[in-house]
Amino acid sequence: MIDGWEIIDFHGHVGRWDIFEMSDDAEEILHAMDAVGIDRCCLFNIFHPDGATGNDQTAAFVSRYPERFIGFAYVSPLMSEFMVSELERAIDRLGFLAIKIYPPYSRWLLNDPVWDPVYQFADDRGLAIISHTGAEETCWPVYVEDIAGHYPNANFVIAHAGNSEPYRSQAIRAAQRFSNVYVETCSTFREPGVIERLVAEAGADRVLFGSDVPLMDPRTQLGKIITARIGDCEKRLVLGENARRLLKL
Amino acid sequence: MSLSFRSRVFVFDANVGIGNRHDRRSPFDSPDQLLEEMARHGVDRALVYSVQGEWISPMQGNDALAVLTDRNDALVPQFVAGCDSGSLRQLCDLHRDGVVSSVRLHNTAECRLPFVSWLYGDLLAWLSAEGIPLWVSLADTPPVEIVDTLSRYPDLTVVLVGAHYTHSMMIRPMMRVLPNAFLELSRYENICGIEKLVREFGARRLLYGSFFPRYAMGPMLYALHHLEISDDDLRLICAANLERVLYD
Repeated sequence: MIDGWEIIDFHGHVGRWDIFEMSDDAEEILHAMDAVGIDRCCLFNIFHPDGATGNDQTAAFVSRYPERFIGFAYVSPLMSEFMVSELERAIDRLGFLAIKIYPPYSRWLLNDPVWDPVYQFADDRGLAIISHTGAEETCWPVYVEDIAGHYPNANFVIAHAGNSEPYRSQAIRAAQRFSNVYVETCSTFREPGVIERLVAEAGADRVLFGSDVPLMDPRTQLGKIITARIGDCEKRLVLGENARRLLKL
Repeated sequence: MSLSFRSRVFVFDANVGIGNRHDRRSPFDSPDQLLEEMARHGVDRALVYSVQGEWISPMQGNDALAVLTDRNDALVPQFVAGCDSGSLRQLCDLHRDGVVSSVRLHNTAECRLPFVSWLYGDLLAWLSAEGIPLWVSLADTPPVEIVDTLSRYPDLTVVLVGAHYTHSMMIRPMMRVLPNAFLELSRYENICGIEKLVREFGARRLLYGSFFPRYAMGPMLYALHHLEISDDDLRLICAANLERVLYD
């Protein structure tokens, strides 16, 4: 908690990525979260295209600290025959609260019809979908504009807010055009003024704090919000209130 | 925990650029704006180089830096070095004037130049002989060239700037192979990574830098204040180590 407000990290990983020394050590993650008052962290495993293998790992990880971690379901069109059934299993049986997709691990653009069953599932259930975005062509934020209007009950979260230009501007434009589009803040691109711009142009009620833990330490990523020139009301929305609303907590 | 932050220790930022890049305007492009941003985060002093010098012309950038930092005790000039003899002559002249406490290697990747001794040997030999520390950016110069070239100059003090999580597997071996190297922390975001470095190498080889204006000034400083390290180690990282590198 910070000043009595719950802090929710919307972007975290389960799994090891050894070349980056990324290890999903729960104690280490909690140590970093506790140091800056992060109450809960949303986690997903993006390394297994069948979905189930990674989702089971996420479920096991979350079950150790269910009050601190929230599971998101991952599916991939590389094994499209499992997408909907795995989403049903992950949401209904594993208790996950949202969906993660990672288009760069496939050959399909974010607006390709291959993803439609995922979007339709989220629309039917009123779920949030967080997608990696950035310079990789499969996941330019501009493609979110092609889908957000077709699935008004789903909420689309543009992870990394596009990361850098011109993709950051695409992310902001998508959030301006569609009320069910959000931008999420974790990024290794930490130029001055990024958070201020996201809040000013996308709106404080559409920006979600994320850290990419354990690929990155959440303390630096939280520091982006705390040290930004935005008001305390805006900080509270970004750091937790928007996530609480989106995840229906 | 609070929604606001200001450093509780004296801070000397080891990595600040000033001025506009040729292709990107800085959000704080005058000395007064930079000083205001430093004050907002509680940064007391900054080692400042010209971003034009880093990317386009070390010599013109250094000339501009003298004007930008003039009469500002909070801004300590850091001069940029290229590989040509004119650049070295300029640095020698500035050193004779007593204003060179450190030198920063220009952006070798942007210039499409390899960082090798047959190009930079005269510069590196001069820095070694004069006891002037060199800043080298891992974001802008390949790590293999840094290690292979700097290994030939064992007396040279080096500050490795901008280590990123993509350098994760290289950092510790680099610190071992280059025992005179310090690590600037602006982009080092590995989870609990700085605490692990403190345990392995000690806080005396680590420096706070922001990499402003490529990176915002506050986030890493905020993170440092929330690590599980002693206040003595925090003071070393935030200022004392840099003062030792520049002035001892």
